[in-house]
Amino acid sequence: MSESRAAPDQQIYIVDDDEALRDSLVWMLESSGYTVAAFDSAEAFLAAWRESMSGCLVLDVRMPGMSGLELFEELGRRRFSLPVIFITGHGDVPMAVSALKKGAADFIEKPFGDQEMLRLVEQCLEQERSSRSKRKLEADTVRRLDHLTQREREVLDLIILGKLNKQIADVLGISIKTVEVHRARVMEKMGAHSLAELVQHVVTVEPTAAPR
Amino acid sequence: MTETDDPAQSAPNRWYWTAPYVAVVIFALSMLTLVGLLQTRELEGQRNAVARDVQWAEQTMRLHMQGTEEFLGQLARDLSAEMIDADGFQLRANQHIANNGELVNVVWVGEDGTVRWSAPFDTTDWLAGDALSAAQSAVFLDAREGVRATYGQVYTTARGLTVLEVYVPIRHGRDFRGAIVGVYSIDRVVRHLVPGWFAEKYRLALQTAEGETLAVNSTLKELDESVAFELPLDPPGNGLILRATAFRAGGQLPQALPIVLIVGLSVLVLWSLWLLRTHVLRRVQVEKERDRLFNLSLDMLCVVGLDGSFRRCNPAFERILGHSPHDLPGKPMLDLVHRDDVAATLEQLRSLASGQPVKFENRCLCADGSYKWLVWSINPVRAEKLVYAVAHDITGRKAAEEALRAESAFRKAMEDSVITGLRAIDLSGRIIYVNSAFCRMVGFDESELLGAEAPFPYWPPEDLDVCSRNLELTLGGRAPASGFEMRIRRKNGERLDARFYLSPLIDLTGRQTGWMASMTDITEPKRVRAALEAAHERFEAVLDGLDAAVFVSDAGTDEILFANRAFKAIHGFDAVGRTVRGVAVPQPERGDYPVDPRGLTVTDLPRELFDGELQHPLSGRWYHVREHATRWVDGRVVRMGIATDITDRKQTAEISRQQEERLERTSRLITMGEMASTLAHELNQPLSAIANYCAGCVTRMQSGNSKPEDLLAAMQKARFQAERAGKIIRRIREFVKKSEPRRSAVRIAEVLDDALGFAEIDARRLGIRLVAEVAPDLPAVYADRIMIEQVVLNLVRNGLDAMSNVLPDERILIARARPFGPHSVEVAVIDRGHGLSDEDRARLFTPFFTTKAEGMGMGLNICRSIIEFHDGRLIVDVNPEGGTIFSFTLPTEAASERVARRA
Repeated sequence: MSESRAAPDQQIYIVDDDEALRDSLVWMLESSGYTVAAFDSAEAFLAAWRESMSGCLVLDVRMPGMSGLELFEELGRRRFSLPVIFITGHGDVPMAVSALKKGAADFIEKPFGDQEMLRLVEQCLEQERSSRSKRKLEADTVRRLDHLTQREREVLDLIILGKLNKQIADVLGISIKTVEVHRARVMEKMGAHSLAELVQHVVTVEPTAAPR
Repeated sequence: MTETDDPAQSAPNRWYWTAPYVAVVIFALSMLTLVGLLQTRELEGQRNAVARDVQWAEQTMRLHMQGTEEFLGQLARDLSAEMIDADGFQLRANQHIANNGELVNVVWVGEDGTVRWSAPFDTTDWLAGDALSAAQSAVFLDAREGVRATYGQVYTTARGLTVLEVYVPIRHGRDFRGAIVGVYSIDRVVRHLVPGWFAEKYRLALQTAEGETLAVNSTLKELDESVAFELPLDPPGNGLILRATAFRAGGQLPQALPIVLIVGLSVLVLWSLWLLRTHVLRRVQVEKERDRLFNLSLDMLCVVGLDGSFRRCNPAFERILGHSPHDLPGKPMLDLVHRDDVAATLEQLRSLASGQPVKFENRCLCADGSYKWLVWSINPVRAEKLVYAVAHDITGRKAAEEALRAESAFRKAMEDSVITGLRAIDLSGRIIYVNSAFCRMVGFDESELLGAEAPFPYWPPEDLDVCSRNLELTLGGRAPASGFEMRIRRKNGERLDARFYLSPLIDLTGRQTGWMASMTDITEPKRVRAALEAAHERFEAVLDGLDAAVFVSDAGTDEILFANRAFKAIHGFDAVGRTVRGVAVPQPERGDYPVDPRGLTVTDLPRELFDGELQHPLSGRWYHVREHATRWVDGRVVRMGIATDITDRKQTAEISRQQEERLERTSRLITMGEMASTLAHELNQPLSAIANYCAGCVTRMQSGNSKPEDLLAAMQKARFQAERAGKIIRRIREFVKKSEPRRSAVRIAEVLDDALGFAEIDARRLGIRLVAEVAPDLPAVYADRIMIEQVVLNLVRNGLDAMSNVLPDERILIARARPFGPHSVEVAVIDRGHGLSDEDRARLFTPFFTTKAEGMGMGLNICRSIIEFHDGRLIVDVNPEGGTIFSFTLPTEAASERVARRA
C-alpha cells in the first residue's frame, strides 16, 4: 500500500499451521502493501503451486504432516526458484541452519519484529527480481544465438577468443571486408551495443566459449 | 457217513468182497473147460487126418509095388518065352530101377536056385552063380509052388541095407524056370513112395509085426505120439505095419497159451481185487477216523458253501452254541454272527476269495440267545467251491483276559496310587521293577531305571560308597529290619532323604528272585523332627535374640510366666514370678482393652487384646506393643505381650518420607524446567501474532489509509492472542504453585483435561492426536489434584516420546478413566509407541532407569510413590495393538472416607 517496491506480479506466500500467526502475518504484510497468499499446510501449498509463481515464500519449519523442511526439499526437486524464508521456534535453530545450507534465503526466529520480517521479505523480492531479469536475458541470448548463420557463429566464436579481424579472415580464409560485414550482422542480431556486452552475454550462457 | 461198526452192515460187506473172487474163479474154470474141449476136438480131427493120410500112403505104396510085380511078371513071361536075352533084361531092369527109386536090384534066379542074371550090372549083392541063402531059398520054394509073386522076410544085407525081396516065378507051361526077384530097399520105400508134404507133416515108419521099426523117413523132428496111425502094408502081407506119427507142430505152445493166459489173467484180476480191497479198506479206515475226529472234535468244525451257508456241521455246534448240527446246514453262517461283528466278519470272508486262509475272532449267537467268542480259522478250497472252517470257543479265554486286564489295571492303579516308592532288583542287583511313586520320587523315568545296575542314577555322587555298601548288604541278605536311611539324588539334582525297607522277592514257586525295596520320602518328617529338636533352642535363642521385649503372663493373676532376655534387660532379671503391672512400663491401660482379659475363657481364644504404639514417659522412646490372649502350654489363658522399640524405625520413616518429598519437589522442578522450555516455545505463537497485528495496525495508521473496522478486527484478534498467552501463563502458575499434598474430592475428568491441555503442546509438535475417554458418571476420587495431574502428565509425556517414530496414522494417545470395582477409579494412558521389552518393564520403576536419551529416570518412580501415597497401584501392561498401557487406580471419595475414619 505504501512503501512496497514489489513488482506487480510478485506475491508473498505464507505457509504456517498456526492460524493466529498466519493471519497476523497476512495482516502485517498486507498493511505494508504486499500481495499475500496464505496456506495452512505444506500440502495445501503444493496443491496450489504453479511454476509461474513469483515473489517469495515464508515457511514455518514445524508443522503437522509435511514439515517446512520437507516442503522445501520437495520444491527443490521441482526446480522451484523462489527465495524461501523459514520461521523457526525456540530450539529449531539447527534445523534452520541445515535449511540455509540447502539453499534457503534466510530464517527468522520467533518471536520476531515486523521490521525484521519486512526487511527480509523485501530483500528476497529484490533478489528474486534480479535473478528473474538475469534469467530473461540469458533466455534472450540463447534465442539470439540460434538465429546466427553458420559463418556468423564461427566469426562470433573467434571474436570471443579475442582475434582481430585480420586473424579471423586468415583462419576462415575470407577477406577482411567480409569479416567486417559478418561482425556487424552478429552485433546486430545479438542486440549488443559493444564488444564487451556481446562477450558478456555469450559467456553467461556458454561459459565454455570463453578463452582459457 | 455215520457209524459203520455194527455187524449187520459188515456181513453184506463181506459178501460184496467174496462175489468178485467166486466170479473170477468160475469164469476161469469155464474158460479152461472150453479150451480143453476145443483142443480135444482138434486132436480128433488131426487123428482122422493122419488115418486118411496113412491110408493114402499105403495105397500109394501098394500101387507102386503092384506096378513092380507086373513089370517083374512081364519079365518072367518074356523069359519063359525066351523072348529076352541078358542084355534086354539088363536094359529093361535098369530102366525100371531108374524110374522106381525104391527098387534096388532085379535078379533072375534059375530053377536051381542060382543067380543067372542080375541088374543093375554093377551090383555086388547079386552075382551070377551065387546061391540063395536059406531064408531066400524058402521064399524061392514058396514062389515055385505058387503062381503069384511071393514076398520074403525083411532082412539086412551084409552091406547093412534093409531089404524086402519079391519073387515072381517064371513058368513055361508047367515048367518052372526060376524066378525074377525084385529087391526093395525098405528105407527107400519109406522115403521115396510118399510125397514131400507128407514127410513134412508126419514121420512115416515101417515096423515089423513085433513093433520093431525097420525104417523111418525122418528122425529130426519131435513127434506127437498122440496123433499116430498104424496100417498093415498089404501086398507083402508078412506083417509089415506102416505107422505115421504127426510131428509136434510149432503150434504146441499156442495150445497151452490160452490156459496160461486165462490162469494168468485170473490171478492178475484176483491180485488187483485184493489190492483194491486193501486200498478201500484203508480208505474206509481213514474215513472212519476222520468221521470220528469230526464228530468228537471239541472245536466246531463245519463246511460252508461259497454262498455262506452251512453244508455240514459237527456235534460241537450243539455242545458249544446249542444249535443242532442237523438243523444248521442250509442256514447262512452270518445269521449266527453278532450284529457288531458282521462287518468285520464279512471283510474277512471277502479276503477268502483271494484263496488265502483267514483267521479272526467274532461273537456268535447261541441257541439260548447269549453270545460266545469264537476264533475262526477258515481255509477255502476253490476247486470244491467250499470253505472249511474251524471255530474255537474263546469265551472263557476272553473272559479270563478281561479279568486279567481288570486285575492288572487294578494292580497298576494300586501301584500308581501307592505313595510308597517300590523298587525290585534281581539277585545280581539289576533293577527289574519300579512303581510310579518311586519314579516320581527320584524324578527318573521308568525306562531310565529298568535294567540299571549299580551305581544307580539316583545315587548322589557324594554318597556313592554308602549306597554301594547298602546294596552289598541288601544282596547279602544282611539288610537291617529297620531299613536304610539314604540320601537320594533326584534327576533335577535335588536331594531327598529316603528310608528303604528291604524284603526278599519270592516268586510263585517259592524261589527268591530278588529283593523288593519300599522307599518312603522322609525328607519332610526328618526336617520336621530336626525342626522340632531345634525348635526349643531356637525358640529360646530367637526370643532372647529379639530386641523386642516378650512376656507371657497369666490373664487372671497377671503373674509373669515367661520373659525373654530383652524384657528382663529392661524390667529386671527377676521379672518372672512378678506381675506385669508391677514391672513393665509403658502399659496399655485397662480401658484400652476391648474386653477385660481377666474374664476370658479358653473358648474365646485366641484373641487380640491390643495393638498400638506407646511412648515411654521418661525415655521418650516409642514402643509398638501387641498383646494377645492365648492358651499356654498348661492350658491356662495367658496374655502374651510383645513390645518392640520402634523409635529408630519411626525416625527412619520420617527421614525417608522427607527425602521422598524432597525428591518429589526436585522432580517437579525438573519437570517445570522442561515445561518452561516448551511453554516458552508455546508462548511464541500468541506473542508473535500479537506483534504482527500491532505492527500491521501501526503501519496502516501511519500510512493513513486505514479503515477503522479493519483495525478493530485486527486489534480484537491481538487481544484474543493475549488472552491465550495469559492462559498459558496461568497454567504454569497453577502447576508451579508449591503445595503440600492436599487430598480432596477431585473429578478425574478435569484432571485429565488439564493434563492433556499441557501435553497438547508437545503432542502437536509431534503430530500426535490426544483422545480422552472418560466414563460418564464417574465418582469423584479422593486425591491431591496437582499430584495426580502431574502423574498423568508424566505418563502422557512418556507415551508421546515413545510414539515419535511410529506412522502418522497411528499417532494416537488415549487417556482413559473408568470405574474399577465399587471403590476405585482406574486411569489408563495408552500409547501405540515402541513398547517396552520384558527386561525394561522389570526395571521400569528402578530409580535412574530410563529409555529416553535425555530422561532422568526419576519420573515413573515418583509417579508410583504418588499413586501409592493415594492407596492406589501403578501398573504397566503391553498394549495388544502395540505400545504400552500405564494404568493406576485411585480410591473413590466414598471409599476413602471409610479408610480415613478407620485410621
